[in-house]
Amino acid sequence: MSNSIEQTLNDLLKYLLKSGKVSAVFSLRKINEGGSVDYGLITDIEKLVEIAPFHPLMPVNAGQLLGRFTPMKKPVAAVVRPCEYRAFVELAKREQGQMDNFLFITYSCGGVFKLKDNAEDKVKNKLDGYWKAVKNSEIPDDIRPTCKACEYIEPFDADIYVSLVGEENGKIYLNSEKAKNMLEDSEFNFKKDKFDPAILNELLKKRAVKKTELYASVDTSKTGLDGLIDIFGRCIGCHGCNAVCPICYCTLCDFESFNYDYNTPILEKELAEKGALRLPPDTLFFHLGRLSHMSFSCVGCGMCSDVCPALIPVAAVFKKTGEETAGMFAYVAGRKLDEDIPVMIYKEEEFPELGE
Amino acid sequence: MTDNIRKGTLLKTEEDMQKSILQFFQDAVEKKLFDAVMLPMKVPSGDSFAWIMIKDAAILKDAQPLAPIMPVNAATALKRYTRKGKGKFKIAALMKPCEIRATIELTKLNQVHLDDVTLFTYDCVGALPMQDYIADPEGVDGKFAKLLTDKNFNSKDVKPVCKICDKFSLSASDLHFAFSDKDILLISNSEKGEKLLTDLEWKADADLKKWQKYIDEKTNIRAKNKADTFKIVKGMAEGFDNLVETFSNCIGCHNCSSSCPICYCRQCYFDTSVAKPNSDVIMMRAEERGAASLPLDRIMFHTGRMAHMSLSCVSCGLCSDACPVNIPVAKIFSYVASQTQKTFGYSAGASVGDALPMKEYKLNELGELGKLVKSAEAQEGSNE
Repeated sequence: MSNSIEQTLNDLLKYLLKSGKVSAVFSLRKINEGGSVDYGLITDIEKLVEIAPFHPLMPVNAGQLLGRFTPMKKPVAAVVRPCEYRAFVELAKREQGQMDNFLFITYSCGGVFKLKDNAEDKVKNKLDGYWKAVKNSEIPDDIRPTCKACEYIEPFDADIYVSLVGEENGKIYLNSEKAKNMLEDSEFNFKKDKFDPAILNELLKKRAVKKTELYASVDTSKTGLDGLIDIFGRCIGCHGCNAVCPICYCTLCDFESFNYDYNTPILEKELAEKGALRLPPDTLFFHLGRLSHMSFSCVGCGMCSDVCPALIPVAAVFKKTGEETAGMFAYVAGRKLDEDIPVMIYKEEEFPELGE
Repeated sequence: MTDNIRKGTLLKTEEDMQKSILQFFQDAVEKKLFDAVMLPMKVPSGDSFAWIMIKDAAILKDAQPLAPIMPVNAATALKRYTRKGKGKFKIAALMKPCEIRATIELTKLNQVHLDDVTLFTYDCVGALPMQDYIADPEGVDGKFAKLLTDKNFNSKDVKPVCKICDKFSLSASDLHFAFSDKDILLISNSEKGEKLLTDLEWKADADLKKWQKYIDEKTNIRAKNKADTFKIVKGMAEGFDNLVETFSNCIGCHNCSSSCPICYCRQCYFDTSVAKPNSDVIMMRAEERGAASLPLDRIMFHTGRMAHMSLSCVSCGLCSDACPVNIPVAKIFSYVASQTQKTFGYSAGASVGDALPMKEYKLNELGELGKLVKSAEAQEGSNE
């Protein structure tokens, strides 16, 4: 990636912080030479040098972090990926976050590498190739499978959009009145025109192909339950997928509650009837439950697959199911704050066959 | 445990060890000594194992008593069956020694109830990494079969924490399958175990000396590995800066805690709303140092977990297996556990009879603290 766009963004954030228009900047940072990154909430201008806003790693879905500590009482500029932004929008709809006081900066994201690859020091030498691919509207090698298949990298409602895909040097667009007002006194000379999503088309076409391949790899429409057992059978029940999911906001998941702590006679009855009982129980039930609870809002960020110790393609299954369920209602998770989550509203004219 | 209960009997040996042990459980169920047996079984996709409580003889024949990997600690599985207390079925459960130790700790923590359960264990060659198995089940199956045939207790291929485990043989189970040369000896290790051998009308007359000598030799090698490893781990675990560096990649997923057999809390303190401060607190934290690292308190989570569970840590290594960013959690916790357990002269899972150190207070413990209390009392007395 060209250093200049990162420098321009840094200058912009510096201006916002210095002028007091924001009290803090939220961004990815490099925290050591080893390539570790974290999200930082930065109040000191001197510390802005540490940020790496476009670094292709996602240690946590930022939507999850931001949702947790809102309402934010002071203005904060947050640089997040489109799927992180969308996750936050979904959380806001579910009253798990408030978007007030945030200046959202998002960008056309080339995808992120797997956390494991970074831990094994395999990312450093792939960065040059990654940025070359982004510039050329190609899919970088070795990024998360769901990133390869991601079709949602437009600005949506974010305040500022940095166009990286297909750009030689990157461009910054002010996408909201809020952003324009905040920067009207500044000396920045940002493009006045609106971002034209046509520049994403070449990449999106390639990603659509990858998506078809990805979904075919987890297609259980013909195999049904057996197919699902094949996919989730090696689950160890750590519920890491749920813990890192930005949408799974429950403080205590139902599947970890007393509801699934069966009395001994119930277990014995099941054991006697079936002849055998897998322990811990409810392995597949957990995933089906989570699918029905959150797949409408799944943003396909891929955190779940990245943390799965049993290497289950969780994200592919959830993204596919999510798009199918949400698609029935022409709903796209996180697209707009004022679009209601389909399961939260009921329209009389919906599903007439059910009504009859 | 008194030595006179430790009696060995020669197990009828089939063509392989797996079959011999499975045959034992099949016979025991047929003789109605047990209603069900908890054993590992391959999952339908064939690339991992799961714990199955088996009642039906037709299903039992497909179990694989000695699993090459440990996806879930058996104590976690048994907890989910026995947590609500006594039932009407008599249960046999076969597990690795570290799983027995976790079961014993969970029993003390009131999460496992052993009234209906007879515990079996065996000499453990170690577990191979689960992700290796998922990638190549047949290859790892072959590797594991060879470890068993060779009675190789010092393999380089097992999980890092298994290489340094010096408690891989006789443990607090009721019965123990000892692997001696070409034979399998069944050793009774409790009154319950001894009674079972009596019920089976088995003569407990096998000589255990040769086996004991072999295991002792292997134990010494592992103990030396452990000492060498701990020298390195000490530098990673002690001191705040070292801890920060060691855990720098932590993403706060808490997989280590949720896969830990000892961390039984339904909801970890660090997942409660108390541990998720509001924006005022986060802003204050950021302003204190110019920036705050998020999620907050990732190191505190690990030190908190150390304080909570290291006295009961059995070094099964599941935390490391579950870590998505390759932090050597198990080695760190195993080292810390060795230190905290030494402080209290406690060995996790050694016996149900040993009280959990944090659950009892001895007057002679922590002498310097006692002195402080006394001097404070004296001070108060003189003030009056």
